[in-house]
Amino acid sequence: MAMVPPKPARNWPLWGGTIAFLVAMSWWSAHGIGFSLTELLCNSAGGTRLLQESWPPDFAFLPRLIDPFMETIYIAIVGTVVGGILSIPVAILAARNLTLGPIIWFADRNFMNILRTLPDLFWAMLFATAVGFGPVAGALALSVFTIAVISKLWSESLESIDMGMPEAVRACGGTWLQMVQFGAIPQGLQHYVSYALYAFELNVRASMVLGLVGAGGIGMILETQRANFEYERVTMIILAVLVAVLIIEQISESIRKRLA
Amino acid sequence: MSNNNSQGSIRFTGANIVYPNGTVGMKDLNLEIKPGEFVVIVGSSGAGKSTLLRAVNGLNRLTSGQIEVDGVAVPQKDGRELRLLRKRVGMIFQDFRLVKRLTVMSNVLIGRLAHVPGWRAMFNLWPAHDKEVAMKALERVGITEKAWIKASQLSGGQQQRVGIARALAQEPAIILADEPVASLDPVTTHQIMQDLVRINRELGITTLVNLHFLDLARKYGQRIIGLRFGELVYDGSAATVTDDDFRNIYGRDFTEDDVLDEDVID
Repeated sequence: MAMVPPKPARNWPLWGGTIAFLVAMSWWSAHGIGFSLTELLCNSAGGTRLLQESWPPDFAFLPRLIDPFMETIYIAIVGTVVGGILSIPVAILAARNLTLGPIIWFADRNFMNILRTLPDLFWAMLFATAVGFGPVAGALALSVFTIAVISKLWSESLESIDMGMPEAVRACGGTWLQMVQFGAIPQGLQHYVSYALYAFELNVRASMVLGLVGAGGIGMILETQRANFEYERVTMIILAVLVAVLIIEQISESIRKRLA
Repeated sequence: MSNNNSQGSIRFTGANIVYPNGTVGMKDLNLEIKPGEFVVIVGSSGAGKSTLLRAVNGLNRLTSGQIEVDGVAVPQKDGRELRLLRKRVGMIFQDFRLVKRLTVMSNVLIGRLAHVPGWRAMFNLWPAHDKEVAMKALERVGITEKAWIKASQLSGGQQQRVGIARALAQEPAIILADEPVASLDPVTTHQIMQDLVRINRELGITTLVNLHFLDLARKYGQRIIGLRFGELVYDGSAATVTDDDFRNIYGRDFTEDDVLDEDVID
């Protein structure tokens, strides 16, 4: 049998240095935001009182959650569908192997980066200003968010497809669009559906947060109840949201697993 | 499936292809192929067999020189003119290149893409005539009964027949077959080669086949073209090609790797 070479010694200076660096960074950052453990312990009484006031959840409030909750789902669905459709050309033009040319590829990549860099809350506030507070603003914000999510993931998976089939379509005299439709998309379809479902999961969660800035849905109710110090209702909303999100994620995940 | 017998001529004039990495794929090639010929191209791997085939339909671009198909130069940039040429040139690949999740029929209809208005293909609204052409193409390779089966459920030989049917659906003047049997077993290999020869005889479609098995080249070729480092080193009848010619094409003695049936080596 061949001799196994001796195991190389661990690079202790590197490890020590890394740990020291992380500790220093954490301490410096905590100091920067005035984080102090003693103060946290002294103020824990306020947190305890809040928790006591938040329990038990106000189940009588549950029926009044149905409408805003459905609104949240509608926002998520519209956002996913609109964003999902718009993300198709964005993703294809951002895939290096399919794009129409370096300039279009570069422009599209940067467009995607801008969409992704700006947070969904920013888009919600932007659209709330543009079309008024309410579910439409939320759906628009989530459309943008969905384009950002799907196009990023899908363009990368499109880049790894087998280019044999697209070439075969080209060899038959097919146009660029036909090359994409018949050669590339059939290979990327499963991934696309999977990413769209994933975006829908994110959108259900995000549409609750968006409600906080006035983009409709259950988040808006959460914000009004919190402002009125109705903490037992707040707990009820959070519980309901938790259950709903878990259910939706389970369904979506099981579909995605089956697709994979 | 009408095919005008005067069509399908190919002429290379001083054609060169140098790849970006400096590899010479085609070196000063002068070659004339007449309509309806069945030409087998041989050479060791990297000799430029695929390069030659792919230059005919513009998948590989020339560095200099010219290729003409029926007297018209093969366009060297993407666009309508190149698509019009490709419409008349079918291609068959070693790895079949089918959309596995689609039916055999859908795959064969891809050969009709350039023949129908774009919106019809896009929404899968194929004219009756084109479906007819696709069906006839399947008939010609004898797998009509598989029309509505998913391509992924076929055997390798059947998949290659779908590949051939897709090329036939183009009603082409030329068929380019790039190592069509390299991923098939010996029995299927002979069936596919016989199919190609039969189609060439029946329809008069000019056929160029890349092969790396010498015995197949000798058995099925009408004319054999030998390439070595992108250069034409042999051009002659398959009936008279000698073992010495093959040695010269390969630049070495050939081994059992170069033949399908090992018995032909003494």
